[in-house]
Amino acid sequence: MKTAAIFELQDVSFAHNVNMPTVLENFNLKIEEGSRTAILGANGAGKTTMFYTLTGVNKPQQGQVLYKGEPVEYTKEGLKYLRADAAVVLQNPDEQVFCSLVEEDVAFGPLNLDLPRDDVERRVRKALRDVRMTEYARRPIQQLSGGQRKRVAIAGALAMEPKVMIMDEPTAGLDPQASMEVMELAEKLHLQGVTVMISTHDVDLVYKWADISSVLCNKKVEFSGNIDEFYSDLERVHRCGQLSPALYNMNMDVSWMNGLDPAPFPHNRCEFIAKFGKNRASGRLICVPACEEDACQKYDDVTKDLPGVSVGVYGSDSRFALRGKDVEFKFDAMDECYTCAASGQDSILIYDSIYEETIKGQAEKLKGFGMDVDMEVVR
Amino acid sequence: MSESLLQADKVCFQYSKKAGDVLKSIDINMDAGKKTALMGCNGAGKSTLFSVLNALYKPREGTVRFKGEPLKYKHKEILRMRTDVAILFQNPNDMMFRPYVYQDVAFGPENLKLPKEEVEQRVNEALFQVGMEAYAKSPIMKLSYGQRKRITLAGVLALRPKAIILDEPTAGLDPQMAYEVMEITEQLHSSGVTVIMSSHDTDLTYAWADELRVLNDGKCMYAGDPESFYSNYQDVQTAGLLLPTVYRMNQTLAHLGICDVEPYPKTQSQLSLKMVDRKDRDFGVLHVVRTDRDTDLNAVLEENDLNGIPRGIYGISARFAQRHSELSVDFPYNAPESCTMKCLSGSDAVLICDPLMYEKAVSSANFINGYGYGKMRIDVI
Repeated sequence: MKTAAIFELQDVSFAHNVNMPTVLENFNLKIEEGSRTAILGANGAGKTTMFYTLTGVNKPQQGQVLYKGEPVEYTKEGLKYLRADAAVVLQNPDEQVFCSLVEEDVAFGPLNLDLPRDDVERRVRKALRDVRMTEYARRPIQQLSGGQRKRVAIAGALAMEPKVMIMDEPTAGLDPQASMEVMELAEKLHLQGVTVMISTHDVDLVYKWADISSVLCNKKVEFSGNIDEFYSDLERVHRCGQLSPALYNMNMDVSWMNGLDPAPFPHNRCEFIAKFGKNRASGRLICVPACEEDACQKYDDVTKDLPGVSVGVYGSDSRFALRGKDVEFKFDAMDECYTCAASGQDSILIYDSIYEETIKGQAEKLKGFGMDVDMEVVR
Repeated sequence: MSESLLQADKVCFQYSKKAGDVLKSIDINMDAGKKTALMGCNGAGKSTLFSVLNALYKPREGTVRFKGEPLKYKHKEILRMRTDVAILFQNPNDMMFRPYVYQDVAFGPENLKLPKEEVEQRVNEALFQVGMEAYAKSPIMKLSYGQRKRITLAGVLALRPKAIILDEPTAGLDPQMAYEVMEITEQLHSSGVTVIMSSHDTDLTYAWADELRVLNDGKCMYAGDPESFYSNYQDVQTAGLLLPTVYRMNQTLAHLGICDVEPYPKTQSQLSLKMVDRKDRDFGVLHVVRTDRDTDLNAVLEENDLNGIPRGIYGISARFAQRHSELSVDFPYNAPESCTMKCLSGSDAVLICDPLMYEKAVSSANFINGYGYGKMRIDVI
């Protein structure tokens, strides 16, 4: 199925002012609606400038920006329409936080959309919970650490309930668990039909996640498509300031040394283990879709029958509900539990039901690596 | 037992009464001459600890010791300490004082009252090390975040400190620059500088650190070697961390009986190697060229018949030699790992390195040979 482009940059050239060199030049890029797109490129390649161009902050000197097939109008109404749909999380949270208290800042965007007060409150509460900052709602932003400010900025964008979520280095400065949570949020937005774009230097993190990767280099789009193709040309990878992800490299090495075809390319640990683990008997994977209200009950039910089996949780609602329980994999649990399965161990994965498609999709992908996961969904 | 460089004894610190203590009677010690990684979740107190150790903040309670001596917060004493211990903050915008790149990097050495030529030489070398020579005359305002980050690093390098504290030096840098920074820290360490670094990148620090310190909620919850910490998964989760990819995969592969748990691989190539079916595989030869700054690399490669073999560059003297020899290289970043991987795939590789960095450069090859995973010939030139 050919998907429509939600954003399109056509022959765009942009310079910050006439006397300065161009940052984007004859720049062409389509962002497919509903896609998970990674934007890669060296520092200074133009990633942030491109994001500002998409949201109408930068008006190109040449070429045009299309949103849903229509040229962006650089009028007050046109930009208001665009920015109600497309939210941006900036790299440096200090450029994005306006208000002194956390909850005021998160409410800033939705209030500008002229929403009813209780709707704004609901959005703010939910957004703060999603980034684990509920208990900081009444704190002055001044007193937060860099990583905490970043989470407030993300909450501000979530509260807009956008159609396109643009995140510029969302995990830079976050601790590993918080980074995993951000990627979970990105996945949730994707499942809700939001188009998600993430620029990052963490090639390992997006290698797991993206459908499409675009690499910017020298003011242009150097590559756009399935990233494995890009990594096969080492000279080009270096020229673009990139390095290939650990999993890509190890797959190439081990495939070569053991005389195997590098394809299919494992994009996460469970696929890697399925490919090279020499284990054909899958462990059992008990999948438990849950919500905040019933997660504890389901946890008790399923662990009673299966004592001693490792439990993983995926999604902020289930994690919040199970915070007092004995959970082995609190983060990155989908990969952890499938890795268990691929290495012949049983495990239980409790997840927010919205992630069902992602969880099942992973089992499908593992078939391509010769692993038919013995999974059972408990409702 | 190694000598203590910086130490906190029961230190408490708070920004305001209302928010309470950020450091909660913390005991922590940083050894001289080591590469120490400081990890912990956002808000654990890492940056605050660095500021307290650098006497930027005075603790509410407890003692900070520099080389065993309690700090008395006298002006001269603090100046002396800061000449020895330089700190690089996370946000470069907090560290820029002057409008132009050259001036900004020269700020520190000028304050040390060094002769003009010495300042000039240090600034140029530091800018070369961070790959920003071409920007010496640029206004700082026009630089990107990553470029600013490198300029502030140059400013710290120009001080030629005996110890260096880096707060998230690679955050916001692209992967190549991140490896450049890691190479600089190896270079400093190999010339005797103590390096202390905070980072959220578990993979990067796992491959790098001798010593690990983990902060959690204003206290030090772990001090020791990295493996012992990661072997306790509960603690890892409590600390807001995850297992390094290489460590985790090694565990799973050992469970499957593909390899033994030990020796612990630190890098991708080391892990890949543990997965080889045949142990009699012929690897390529790793030609290691040890070079000083003035060597004509073209002549050396010619003499030893090494032209046409993929080559990498590692360490500052190698980079100077590369520049004046006008030599192109295939692996400008992360060269020891890239060259080792090349050899694993059966081709030869040339690794041009600073003699001070030799041990580090061949560590993966030694791992292979030392544990009988095959034979990788190292040819030293």
